[in-house]
Amino acid sequence: MTTVTNPETQAKAPSSSRPKKVRERGERGPLASVALHVGLLVASATAVLPPLWLLITSFKPTSEAFSTDLVKDFTFRNYDHVVNDTEFLSWLGNSLFVVGLTTVIGVFISATTGYAVSRFKFPGMRPLMWLLLITQMFPVAVLIVPLYNLLASLGLLNQPVGLVVTYLTIAVPFCAWMMKGYFDTIPVEIDEAGRVDGLNPFGTFWRLIVPLAKPGLAVTGFYSFITGWAEVAYASAFMTGEENLTLAGGLQTFVNQYTSDWGSLTASAVIVAVPAAVIFGFVQRHLVSGLTAGATKS
Amino acid sequence: MRRGIAATALVAALALTAAACGGDDSDSGKKSSGKLSGTVTFWDTSNDAEKGTYEKLAKGFEDLHPDVKVNYVSVAFGEANAKFKNAAGGNSGAPDVMRTEVAWVADFANLGYLAPLEGTPALDKADDYLPQAAASTKFKGKTYAAPQTIDTLALFYNKKMLKDAGVEAPKTIDEVKSAAKKIKSKSGKTGLYLRGDDPYYYLPYLYGEGGDLLDTKNKKVTVDDPQGAAAFKVMKDLVDSKAATTDASDGYNNQLNAFKDGDVAMALDGPWSIEGALQGKEFKGDKDNLGIAPVPGGSDRQASPQGGWNLAAYAGSKNLDASYEFIKYMSSAKVQQQTTEKLSLLPTRTSVYDVQSVKDNQMVQFFKPAVDKSVERPWIPQANALFEPIRLQMEKVLSGKTSPEDGAKSVGDAYRKLLKDYK
Amino acid sequence: MAVDSSQSLAKAAGAQGARGRGPRTGKTPGRLRRSLSTHWYAWAMVAPVVAVIGVIIGYPLVRGLYLSTTDANEANVERTIGVNHIPATYKSVGLDNYTAVLSDGIFWDRLTWTIIWTVSCVAISFTLGLVLANMLNRKLAGRSLYRMALILPWAVPAFVSVFTWRLLFNEKNGILNKILAGGGIDAIPWLNDPTWAKLSVITVNVWLGVPFMLVAMLGGLQSIPGELYEAAEMDGANAWQRFRHITLPGLRTVSSTVILISGIWTFNMFPVIFLLTRGGPGDATEILVTYAYRLSFVVSPRDFAGSAAWGVIILLLLSLFAVVYRRALRKQGEVW
Repeated sequence: MTTVTNPETQAKAPSSSRPKKVRERGERGPLASVALHVGLLVASATAVLPPLWLLITSFKPTSEAFSTDLVKDFTFRNYDHVVNDTEFLSWLGNSLFVVGLTTVIGVFISATTGYAVSRFKFPGMRPLMWLLLITQMFPVAVLIVPLYNLLASLGLLNQPVGLVVTYLTIAVPFCAWMMKGYFDTIPVEIDEAGRVDGLNPFGTFWRLIVPLAKPGLAVTGFYSFITGWAEVAYASAFMTGEENLTLAGGLQTFVNQYTSDWGSLTASAVIVAVPAAVIFGFVQRHLVSGLTAGATKS
Repeated sequence: MRRGIAATALVAALALTAAACGGDDSDSGKKSSGKLSGTVTFWDTSNDAEKGTYEKLAKGFEDLHPDVKVNYVSVAFGEANAKFKNAAGGNSGAPDVMRTEVAWVADFANLGYLAPLEGTPALDKADDYLPQAAASTKFKGKTYAAPQTIDTLALFYNKKMLKDAGVEAPKTIDEVKSAAKKIKSKSGKTGLYLRGDDPYYYLPYLYGEGGDLLDTKNKKVTVDDPQGAAAFKVMKDLVDSKAATTDASDGYNNQLNAFKDGDVAMALDGPWSIEGALQGKEFKGDKDNLGIAPVPGGSDRQASPQGGWNLAAYAGSKNLDASYEFIKYMSSAKVQQQTTEKLSLLPTRTSVYDVQSVKDNQMVQFFKPAVDKSVERPWIPQANALFEPIRLQMEKVLSGKTSPEDGAKSVGDAYRKLLKDYK
Repeated sequence: MAVDSSQSLAKAAGAQGARGRGPRTGKTPGRLRRSLSTHWYAWAMVAPVVAVIGVIIGYPLVRGLYLSTTDANEANVERTIGVNHIPATYKSVGLDNYTAVLSDGIFWDRLTWTIIWTVSCVAISFTLGLVLANMLNRKLAGRSLYRMALILPWAVPAFVSVFTWRLLFNEKNGILNKILAGGGIDAIPWLNDPTWAKLSVITVNVWLGVPFMLVAMLGGLQSIPGELYEAAEMDGANAWQRFRHITLPGLRTVSSTVILISGIWTFNMFPVIFLLTRGGPGDATEILVTYAYRLSFVVSPRDFAGSAAWGVIILLLLSLFAVVYRRALRKQGEVW
């Protein structure tokens, strides 16, 4: 038990409320402090500027999209336009539906596998681990045409559900891999306690481990959500009707070779990005622990 | 009981996936009375400045056939070909009627995606069509589209800027260069915008040097003849001598923006950009400032490619009857007259050129003779595929990664791979 | 930090005979039955994933492998247009597609660039992530603010960010060139010159990738016991020595995994290239994956067979990379 670091406390450890855990390295000189802050400021500025510029641009009329002024003819027209005059809302709905369903199914069927691989040693485990790793590196190119033909023959092309099936190919191996990493951080003693109480492995998993693994499930789910949210290749190839596009495909119709409606693009991008970023802000602490749990233990 | 949970979960998951595999939409066709009904989905490829007019015209079909709903979808020109193929090849999501670029018709027809139009209402007064416009609608002896508009490239110029620099509209590439020099010394602006991202714009230079892509009669690839390399050289020289500016991406918008804002004095463009250019600050209050002249000639001649748009019906459409009528309507003399009046696009029907408002349209007055002289492209299934190798080499040549000679040679090699029976 | 799982694994599974690499399935019926009775829990638990992978990855994969040995393209595959059914007419060509790809200069050009792209993206974002993590992992005013700012590129959906960068990179009107012009510097053809375009796509990908590295490295740093540093300090080790001998070894497990994963991701990074440059100018920024996509969905006629062959080769390359990488790690004493 003692050797296991609880991800919760681990993430909180460096906060100043628990000074004892922070190692006392040699005091920094003022010069080093300044250098540190300058370095971090530069890095932060680089990280923040592009999204910030996006936000600023979204309040300019399309004709002024490239203006260097911070504020130029401040307007909400772009937002009004994308929400009321374009298919943006249906794209948003499609994306939410496709990615949401993918995530739920993906996490659901992957959880048991992650647990089995984490706890048991069974014939076929090593090949399975390899399979999970290798399927993650499947290039789009090798699957896209067969999947296209498969979906076409099932009549699922241009249907959000078809995209769900496609995204499962990405989500399932990934979720199983992440869940394994998370289960590894849950002490085996808990399983043993369950066994002593007469639970079989399924019972142990369902009653004891899953409740403990909720943060892990959430993180895995969230992570596979943002992966699907940003997918472009399959969405561009499989979704053709304008009302069936997902966001990644739909936004391309604003800015491409022959149109450059930067006003609509930036406004819809902001609408897409802000909720995502806010949720991200909330879960990022868990994300840290979840990811590193996966990473340190894989 | 506990074991059951996992099993139930598994079943539920499978059921979800299975349930995901259902569903299809249906579309009604002709009612028994013979009256048209249902929906016609129309994919339009017109650009930002044009699409409002096109949407209104397409919706006008509903006035003629009140039971038919027109589902107008604007698809960007750059994506339209790929999107249509994705949808048509997978038999889902394809439109009923598609605005099809002239070079796409043979390709789509060859794949079986288009419905032949002979004997359908779609082909109305076919002998009224300009012969070169009708040529692009035929494949293997059948007609697969109705021509809607015809175009070619021309030199757009800013009259004021040229006048300030004391130059006339250039007739040759050499005149472009000397004009650009004067413009630069006068106003500091660049003379010409050269589309380095779109292979279509290679054609006027190629024709100007006396070359062509293919010799379809003798089944010979001609793009790697010396004229092909010479055309690349001319383009490269324009850019290197700073007479022209270029981009490897977003060229359409960059060119239009640069021209209409007065950052460049000249650009090669087609009638589809007239409306967009007139919205810019250089031309907004002063339509007459927009000058149009034939494309500057190379060492051999002045010539530009024939382009345009046709209307085709998807072979898998569930509402072909209404689609044929829709095509008939959209390519009718009445609609063509309106696209000319509102957008200065060129009609494909000879009768429309006799209408007074069309006759009076300055753009038509200029473009009609240019179209008559324009070079017909090879109407073969691979016509559209001929562009990708040019794009690749053009960007390489313009950025100095490849010599004009090697560029032309690579294009030729790519063509021979594409066209198995060509020498 | 972790339980030594190899001890407890077998216990937890209630298995005695499954230690080590036993034969996969028993050769005699008795053995099979025995392993079935010991392992059926585990097998039942992995069954859903195996089934899903088998159906929606396995089938397309096998089909892709098959297509890569034919001359399939959009004009000869089976297709249904409304009521018309057009049967498939493509035929087997053996390994011709593979020899064609491997003997083509394009493949080697693309492979070279893809490797440069992958290595530089991973190396730069890993280094930046490591440096920033070390800067953040200490008492610092405004620490959580910095942290939020630095993670932002990850929080914004990638395709949104890529569009934003296109806005910034626009040669004629983009803000980057306008700032440079303010400093008297000529416009940089960010996406229009082959070399600049390469630098630009790498920049964007690094920008997108640093937060992942940062987060992983921070987690790794926090799992290094502080006592180690205290002890080292008492022994008089300076900052660099502590970093070299405690931090780096402490981060090894995390690093090896994130490098593997992000290497694979970057190798297959489709959206950044596709949305930023479409592989241009020319084919300067085209990586293997975008090229294979171009073959099957952009060029005409769409070359399904060729694209599949590229896909298979990419897959083989990545598998090889993973095997070699794992082996190298195992040699250094990692177990997996």
